[in-house]
Amino acid sequence: MAGSAKGGFPRRDLSFEREPARRAFAGELRESRIHFREGDDEKSPTYVLLPTGERCNRVFLVGTLTEKKKQGEQNLFYRARVVDPTGTFFIMAGSYQPEAMQQIARIEPPAFVAVVGKPNVYETPDGAVLISVRCESVTPVDKDTRDRWVLDCARATLDRIGTLGTTPDGERAQKEYRADPALFLKMVYEALSQLSL
Amino acid sequence: MDYADTAARISQKVRAKGHEADTVKLEGKLKRLVEEFGVPPAEAERTVMNELSREFSINGLGTAAGEEKNLNQLTTGEWATVEARVVSLTSSPSSAIAQGGILADPSGAIRFVVWAKANAPPLSPGRWYRFESAVVDEYRGAANLKVHSGTVVKEITRDTVLIPEITPLHDLVPGIGSVRAKVVQEWETTHDRMLQSGLLGDETGTIKFVIWKEEGRERLTPGMVYTIYYAVVDEYSGRYSLNLNTATVIQDEGEITVSSGDSSFSGALVHIAPGSGLIKRCPVEGCNRVLSRQNYCPVHEIQPGFLYDLRIKGWLDDGRETKEILVQREMTEQLTGLSLDQARELAENNPLGMDEVFLRVRDRILGRYLTCQGREIDSRMLVNVCQFLPFNPDEIAALLNRAGGSS
Repeated sequence: MAGSAKGGFPRRDLSFEREPARRAFAGELRESRIHFREGDDEKSPTYVLLPTGERCNRVFLVGTLTEKKKQGEQNLFYRARVVDPTGTFFIMAGSYQPEAMQQIARIEPPAFVAVVGKPNVYETPDGAVLISVRCESVTPVDKDTRDRWVLDCARATLDRIGTLGTTPDGERAQKEYRADPALFLKMVYEALSQLSL
Repeated sequence: MDYADTAARISQKVRAKGHEADTVKLEGKLKRLVEEFGVPPAEAERTVMNELSREFSINGLGTAAGEEKNLNQLTTGEWATVEARVVSLTSSPSSAIAQGGILADPSGAIRFVVWAKANAPPLSPGRWYRFESAVVDEYRGAANLKVHSGTVVKEITRDTVLIPEITPLHDLVPGIGSVRAKVVQEWETTHDRMLQSGLLGDETGTIKFVIWKEEGRERLTPGMVYTIYYAVVDEYSGRYSLNLNTATVIQDEGEITVSSGDSSFSGALVHIAPGSGLIKRCPVEGCNRVLSRQNYCPVHEIQPGFLYDLRIKGWLDDGRETKEILVQREMTEQLTGLSLDQARELAENNPLGMDEVFLRVRDRILGRYLTCQGREIDSRMLVNVCQFLPFNPDEIAALLNRAGGSS
């Protein structure tokens, strides 16, 4: 909510920049392992480094909400699965995201949804790594918007693969993940192929 | 700090004039000035240089960076020697300044100031001069050449014809600029000393202009196109304006299609801010402020006779950057399919009141792809035209090629 400056007063604080919402397929986001905080402050933004070489503090994704589950008693929260052509996003919304939680509560799966949220990397005690998106909003949309997103996400992913190793984040991703860009090209190709059907 | 380089440079210059200077001694002097007396290194170099030129009675030995340069090569904080033409003189606001104006050479133009203490010969407009060891510093965000008591000014003869390069309004930066533009608006003057102010426009954008009262200055005619050489581009809190008092203004025959200054941005709507949907505005004429839930205006207090309005405040995001947008009533109605009357009815007959309208608006547009055109003010876009961006299957082929081409 920090982005909504109050109208009526001159805005002096031009230094604030809202973090853009990156586009990444489930097939790429689930491969992310590196996460870090920029700066020492408690409120400094945290980022997840995508294997194709871009930091993201926020993501925008559109897919099919296939399952939802209410959990907790005192601290009620929802977990849900959102599927795109390449895999599954795990999303959640708790009492700190009341708007998103109420939105999920009203959705009957399956449904196309647009999700804005912050990705987090969790490690389970047995060493497995999970990426979950803490939602700011989960809004039902139509198929057109889903298809538009697949194009948008494909373009963004191709752009990242194109500059892999040439930007500081791109270099870091190459060093840390040692991922084969061909795999991600294949993922994009297959996602697009499903559209043309 | 290493003084050996500076000392070597000085001794080289002295040698060029047929004298010898002891570099170790020079080094010691420089070090003393800088470290004991806190003199900036450039100034220390000049001091030592001047001392030597007095000692050997050399003239025009100049200073540290007496290096000859073109105007567009000058950087802030350096000493320089330039040859340039006085293209404009302005009346000086202070008695400390003897003359001020604009110098130009084939590479560009720069503002200059001659200090009263400099004892320099008066410069005449249109003549060429060689300025040895002048100082470049920054004034209002742009480079400025200072002629001081150490500067040697000599008139020279040149028959170079200067044709200043015309800059599109969108590309102007603080400093000196030449433009070809049309007077699109004339504003009321806000100051006794102001002759005229208004808005100039060209194909790339618009900029505010000002002419101050001064002998020989004339007003521009609204609707006419002018070629303006050597105007001063000023910056006030991030916005540029053009001061025409230094400029040569020539009326032009041609016509210009002025850009509206609108920019366009497409992306997904990733956030809708509170204050979107149905809102209440203060009915006092000229106020129009948004009222709080208790119908309270920050200026006119309680206003039970409020007016309803519809709008969207949100963030549009293309994955690389995110922009705050403000959509007014007409476009909000079009996007949401909800008219102001319908929204009011909804709010009045629903237990959630105005929140119900917010939720409807949100469910209709949040997470959708939009393309917006409008004016950007303080990094916020005031949207004039806004549409949903449809899925276009024609884009698939090109993306498939990009994905398949290199695997």
